Amino acid sequence: MRNKKSKRLQYLFNGIILENPILILMIGLCPALATSTTAKDAFGMSVATSFVLICSNIVVSLIRKFVPESVRIPIFIIIISTFVTIVDYTMQAYVPTLYRVLGVFVPLIVVNCMILGRAEAFAYQHNIFDSFLDGLGKAVGFTLVLVIMSIIREYFSTGEIFGFVIGPRFIISQPMLFMIFPPGAFLLIGLLKAFINKFIIKPEPTD
Amino acid sequence: MKSLSWMAISLFIVCLIAAGLLSRVYTVTKIQIEKQKQDGIQKQLSQVLPEAVSFRETIDDTLWLGFDKDNQQIGIVFRTAWQGYAGPIPILVGLGNDTVIRKIYIASAAEGLKETPGLGFKIRETSFLEQFYNKMYKEIQLVKDGGTIHAITASTISSNAVINGIRAGIERFQSNLDGDTNSVQDLQIDTTTGATESDYEK
Repeated sequence: MRNKKSKRLQYLFNGIILENPILILMIGLCPALATSTTAKDAFGMSVATSFVLICSNIVVSLIRKFVPESVRIPIFIIIISTFVTIVDYTMQAYVPTLYRVLGVFVPLIVVNCMILGRAEAFAYQHNIFDSFLDGLGKAVGFTLVLVIMSIIREYFSTGEIFGFVIGPRFIISQPMLFMIFPPGAFLLIGLLKAFINKFIIKPEPTD
Repeated sequence: MKSLSWMAISLFIVCLIAAGLLSRVYTVTKIQIEKQKQDGIQKQLSQVLPEAVSFRETIDDTLWLGFDKDNQQIGIVFRTAWQGYAGPIPILVGLGNDTVIRKIYIASAAEGLKETPGLGFKIRETSFLEQFYNKMYKEIQLVKDGGTIHAITASTISSNAVINGIRAGIERFQSNLDGDTNSVQDLQIDTTTGATESDYEK
């Protein structure tokens, strides 16, 4: 019983650091690079992706016993794209400004390999509650990395965070403009990966 | 054989549920999406021509006539664009019947502005935009050309594009103004070509 409980906690917390989708598993990189220009956009993108990830994990796990193995991938894709379309319409209706900024990256959540990857590798083999925990953990991990990246990029390129001016004047008058462009995103994700490899994930001795 | 038919049936069921759900979501959000689009345009229109209370679209997404509460035409709002540094700069201009510009609005990045952040983007700053408020056509020029506009340092191309875009827009649309102050009020504009009646007489 105790063992089961600790395993569940592991499902939840693995996604945050040890199996972080972006920095460790290196999946779902495209939206992480493209939408992390400002903290607000990155947060909106994370919420949309998290919603789709958690919902698709739950539904896939719910119907896993009825899904024939040979057509599981098409069925997963239909489920994921249904949720993405729901998010797409809802954002268009209620947060149009955010929707216009994110643009094509909302429909592109369909092909985010993090979501199909979790459906295939986890939700198809685990029960609903475990799948929910796994989805939640991965979503939190994804959100954390996106928001951290976007805060750094927004700060160095404009001197603002979430649109508020913060910090010394020299950043505002002489911003590091390249941080807002794609090269800045690549550089930053490399630095974050190096940081996590050096300080957080200690290399384990191989048994 | 059972598994083969189940393959098709399960796919069919999933598709059916997905389609039903989506059509429901679509009908629920459709009204709100349309409303958001209209609200967005209305808000920008009254921002650039504050005296007007209602607008009538004369050229689709390009020209609106502004009316006051007595339904008298008091000015126009038009959309214009000019090639900037990285792409066309979309500008919305509110022009009163006295041919004086009320306010202008430059599209954000989300609405199609492609200028460099931190450089060309400064054309969206109030200090630059305010130079255009309450100015007439002949004043919309750089100071060195005899006008009143100061270009943004290191963003001359973007600044010039705004000036040229506004000038071209006024030249094209001023015949739609209605009032005693201008002599072109009798001209009827052809909405497809932008040509006036006098063009046809030639």
